[in-house]
Amino acid sequence: MIFRAVEDADLIARVRKGDVEAFNHLVSRWEKRVYNYLLRLTSNPEDSLDLSQDVFLKAYQNIRKLDDAARFGPWLFRIAHNEAFSLFRKRKPEADTDDPASAEREPAPGASPELTLSVNAALNRLTPEQREAVVLKVYQGFKFDEMSEILGCPVSTIKSRLYTALDLMKTELAPATPQARQRGIR
Amino acid sequence: MTTCDRAEALRDYAFDELAAGERREMERHLTACTDCAAELDQLRLTTAALRILPDREIPQRIAFVSDKIFEPSPAARFFRSGFFSSAWAGFASAAIMAVALLFTAFHRPAEIRTVVQTASAADVNRRIDAAVATAVADAVRQVRAEDAKTAKETLAAAELRYEREHRFLLASMEQNMEVLQKRLGTFTSLASLDVPQIASQNGAGQ
Repeated sequence: MIFRAVEDADLIARVRKGDVEAFNHLVSRWEKRVYNYLLRLTSNPEDSLDLSQDVFLKAYQNIRKLDDAARFGPWLFRIAHNEAFSLFRKRKPEADTDDPASAEREPAPGASPELTLSVNAALNRLTPEQREAVVLKVYQGFKFDEMSEILGCPVSTIKSRLYTALDLMKTELAPATPQARQRGIR
Repeated sequence: MTTCDRAEALRDYAFDELAAGERREMERHLTACTDCAAELDQLRLTTAALRILPDREIPQRIAFVSDKIFEPSPAARFFRSGFFSSAWAGFASAAIMAVALLFTAFHRPAEIRTVVQTASAADVNRRIDAAVATAVADAVRQVRAEDAKTAKETLAAAELRYEREHRFLLASMEQNMEVLQKRLGTFTSLASLDVPQIASQNGAGQ
């Protein structure tokens, strides 16, 4: 008997035949990544959960339009990106009154509260586009061509956003990490 | 920030976006360029700091339930299967168009031609005169033919009447002749008889 890992493409093929359980399997593989991507963009757990549900519903409704099953990840994150920015456009007038960092102020387990605060503050100083580039590259690990697919813009633009964001953050964050402190002690 | 002209390649290297050859080249460069080595160090520290924020667990699992009411019918699945997709519809319409074009090319109906002719006023007048003359000649010919026919019929009727009258006269004359011949016969026979006999007969009669 030969065991083979079930690929996303296998699940997508089953979903296209009307298998809802296969889609639930696909959701369980991707929901945490999508939720955290949206959480880092919106900084709001409730919004992120609602948006995640909308993202997967749209993915289910449009899965027949996905040309290449191997590109499911970027395609799913493209939907998530559209949903998030659609929400931003709806809420733009009240953006000034919101506290975008409220959800991330709790210290991360295992990290010092001051470092958590520094990281959140640094992220919140970025524009939404810069922050999204950082989230997709640093937290989600997408390649530049996948990010280009997700964001619908050229790789050069994405690199510019990412590297500008890192330049802005490194002066603040690099000395704050334990490694930097150790280097400082040395 | 490094002032080295390979700053962008260095960042691509930090995010593992360089091809194998470029990667080896960058590794050689890093052993020689202290600016780039420091920049790489700082980039790695920054990303490491960012990764301190861990992923959160989703507070509520997302799951979809299959409901027969909302499931597409077999017909809807067939229509969604791709056979009636926009590409197929486009192909089908193009094929129908091609067949229609071929049909019209080989079965062209008789052309209806509209010819517009231009003519001068003199031409028009001449044509009108000719048409009028033709119409008048036709009318005269028709009237003459009708007159000739009427005259012929009248003559035939008169001849017939004359013949009948002639026959009637002949018959009357024949009858008169017969009467006269009878009377003549009577007188002749009387003339051959004796006068006394006549007188006696007359006297006996009185």
